[in-house]
Amino acid sequence: MFHPKKATSMNTAHHERPSMCVQGDSGLVLTTDPKPRLRWTVELHERFVDAVTQLGGPDKATPKTIMRVMGVKGLTLYHLKSHLQKFRLGKQPHKEFSDHPIKDGERASSLELQRNTSASSSGMIGRSMNEMQMEVQRRIHEQLEVQRHLQLRIEAQGKYMQTILEKACQTLAGENLSSSSAAYNNINNKGLIGDFNFPSLQDLSIYGGGGGAADQQQQQLQLHHEQQQSDHGFVECLAGGKKRPNPNPYGGGGGGTSKSPLMMWSSADDLRLQELAGTAAATSCLGGSSSSQDDHHHHHQIQIAPHLSLDHRNNNNEHLDSVSSDINYDTKPNMLMAGSSDQHNINAGEKNAGTKLERPSPRRAGSERQMVSAGAGRNSPFG
Amino acid sequence: MAMLMKNTLVDLDFPCYSTTTTTTTSTEDDHCCDWSDWSPVVDWDELSGDNNDFHDLIDSMMGDNAVLYHPDSRSSSAISPESVIMDIEDNSSLEDLKGLRLVHLLMAAAEALTGINKSRELARVILVRLKELVCPNDGTNMERLAAYFAEALQGLLDGVGVGGVNGSKRLLTVGFHNYKDDDDHPQADVLAAAFQLLQDMSPYVKFGHFTANQAILEAVGHDRRVHIVDYDIMEGIQWASLMQAMVSRNKDGGPPTPHLRITALSRGGGANSRRSFGTIQETGRRLAAFAASIGQPFSFHHCRLDSDETFRSSSLKLVRGEALIMNCMLHLPHFSYRAPDSIASFLSEAKTLNPRLITLVEEEAGPTGDGGFVAKFMDSLHHYSAVYDSLEAGFPMQGRARALVERVFLGPRIAATVARIYRARGEVDGCSWGEWLSRMGFHPNGISFANHCQAKLLLGLFNDGYRVEELASNKLVLGWKSRRLLSASVWTSLNSDS
Repeated sequence: MFHPKKATSMNTAHHERPSMCVQGDSGLVLTTDPKPRLRWTVELHERFVDAVTQLGGPDKATPKTIMRVMGVKGLTLYHLKSHLQKFRLGKQPHKEFSDHPIKDGERASSLELQRNTSASSSGMIGRSMNEMQMEVQRRIHEQLEVQRHLQLRIEAQGKYMQTILEKACQTLAGENLSSSSAAYNNINNKGLIGDFNFPSLQDLSIYGGGGGAADQQQQQLQLHHEQQQSDHGFVECLAGGKKRPNPNPYGGGGGGTSKSPLMMWSSADDLRLQELAGTAAATSCLGGSSSSQDDHHHHHQIQIAPHLSLDHRNNNNEHLDSVSSDINYDTKPNMLMAGSSDQHNINAGEKNAGTKLERPSPRRAGSERQMVSAGAGRNSPFG
Repeated sequence: MAMLMKNTLVDLDFPCYSTTTTTTTSTEDDHCCDWSDWSPVVDWDELSGDNNDFHDLIDSMMGDNAVLYHPDSRSSSAISPESVIMDIEDNSSLEDLKGLRLVHLLMAAAEALTGINKSRELARVILVRLKELVCPNDGTNMERLAAYFAEALQGLLDGVGVGGVNGSKRLLTVGFHNYKDDDDHPQADVLAAAFQLLQDMSPYVKFGHFTANQAILEAVGHDRRVHIVDYDIMEGIQWASLMQAMVSRNKDGGPPTPHLRITALSRGGGANSRRSFGTIQETGRRLAAFAASIGQPFSFHHCRLDSDETFRSSSLKLVRGEALIMNCMLHLPHFSYRAPDSIASFLSEAKTLNPRLITLVEEEAGPTGDGGFVAKFMDSLHHYSAVYDSLEAGFPMQGRARALVERVFLGPRIAATVARIYRARGEVDGCSWGEWLSRMGFHPNGISFANHCQAKLLLGLFNDGYRVEELASNKLVLGWKSRRLLSASVWTSLNSDS
């Protein structure tokens, strides 16, 4: 049968939620959702069982008759229907509650979880789902690790490449081409490597099914319990034990600001989308040219609208220009949009907030991607 | 209800996903499919990959409408391998026609040079005509490519006239000089810029390095000292990421950072002064500086090859207790040509050195049937046209940047490749170094899930046309669309199993 322990460990966020429930005057516990869900407290469930027994067992009782027998104000046919269904199928899923006396909230969340994961199935299915989920979590965790390592490796390779470029630049400088060497340094400072690598790494996150860096998720977790009903499991697991200080300039202090939705974990979809859109539409933004590599890193970590491609090409072009005169600009001029990335961010955020509840699964990113691409396309100079 | 729906959908993802992840050693096709099922990124890729015709249609509608071009009219005249034509199809129809003509001319020239009705004069005439049509720095992919291949054939033609069959070494030199001298000798800065561009444009270099490095990291998990013998260290860029990984492994609470010793094989100058002794030393200094900057205990040695580039294990300094790795990067786009005998000497010494691991990255050749010169020549053309296309897809607007990469790296590679297959005529080589290792009795060393995953993630950063296949348990292959280009395989010697 269903293991409440597992369920709670994966769903801790549920009962950490503050003021999620309102106590009705009839003693009913309802969530504050637009569509209030009922918490089946022990007393309520006992009354339910009494009523069912009175009516001749779960197979004879109907929601309507139960409602009449129970006579609890606020209890609707909708609530009873689903509870009765579970009662019939699951053969008293609540039985474990009496075996393991636990707090009311946890009980409720377990029930909730069960309803969520297996709306019309028995505990058996719930359990195998659970195991699968664990397996998926393990794999996702591994992928996230790989992703993190890959990012570091690309950085290292880029850093090393920079030393090669610098050396080449010195050679140049010795050959009466100091002007181009200055350009070189300029490019390097801008982060020839950084600009390319970091933003693009964000689309890695799609594979993890979650927002790129774990600390990001940690934050999301703290900020956005409520929007993430069923996905706590992942986030909990991934974020666990990874509390690193997040130097993130936007997210760090601005948890409650309007920008915070950007940090939601499912924004990973948007990251990739934005990236795609950015690549396709060649939206460029050179705003992020901070001089230190670290800054760069962090800057890009939270940048939702990666603008790598052209940005980077640009640099290369300049770079090439500086190196050999036979290389000319080949790109169309980039439109430098002040704060264009921010704009993107907010767009993404809104999109996110709007679509969040219905579609957090990476699988459905396809349509969303198109939407976002289309949105970004309007901004793009090459539309 | 929204909640319920969401959960059902999430649940649907699980089975698909978990089969992917639990069966890492399943066939590569399954693997790919599962990944793409799950990831929208690859989904997109798959869509576009399958619907080439659709794109072609669009292309032809958008492109030149001057020529009404019917695909069937072409197939009757198509005597070249279909695969080449397939690639040309990606361009608009007018370019197709020209490209096709170029392919035919190249093939005719190759046949004239080596076929049954050998006629060097005919080859010369065809090449003159070809060179009128194309320029290596301008035109479509096929035109630029044809220019390099024509040059390569010209090199053979001239070389044959001067040095005969034994002048193969000379041929090679001619091949290199043709390009390097065209626009002066490539300066260090141009090389560096081209190298940077190559790395940013395409995953080839990183794929080879990272896959090998990940295998190395996994193999030396708990060793205190690691010794890597690098066949062709070049600028040493492969080792920066390995060092980083070793250092961060420790930071993450893993085993302590091992001492890393790298022995680079050095060659005695020659035509390719870039990789000469001085360059090796500079690479060593650069690596040491990098190691110091991140706190990686490191030492660098070099081991000079014989004059004929033969490797002798006796000239290698070995220290007891070191995990020995032999690293053999062969055909990365920026690498220069290495004689098969030299590579064979390196790999066969692995028998006596008994390394923990042999990491090998090499070019993937297509099936060439009888292995005649023309078939191999056409296969090589196909190979490089895929490379050109992949670069173009990454940087469509950067024609000149690509031309630089092509001039500095790919042109010389083409010349060397053509020269090599010309010399190998009649020989029954045609086997990859991986197969060679297998025949020598080395054992495949499985590629881990993490390694495969890393390759996937890496390719995800580039264009959609790239794909990675797990061709064998120990081999990952990087391809562009349907063409396999580069493989990374991991081997271990017979006695190293503990």
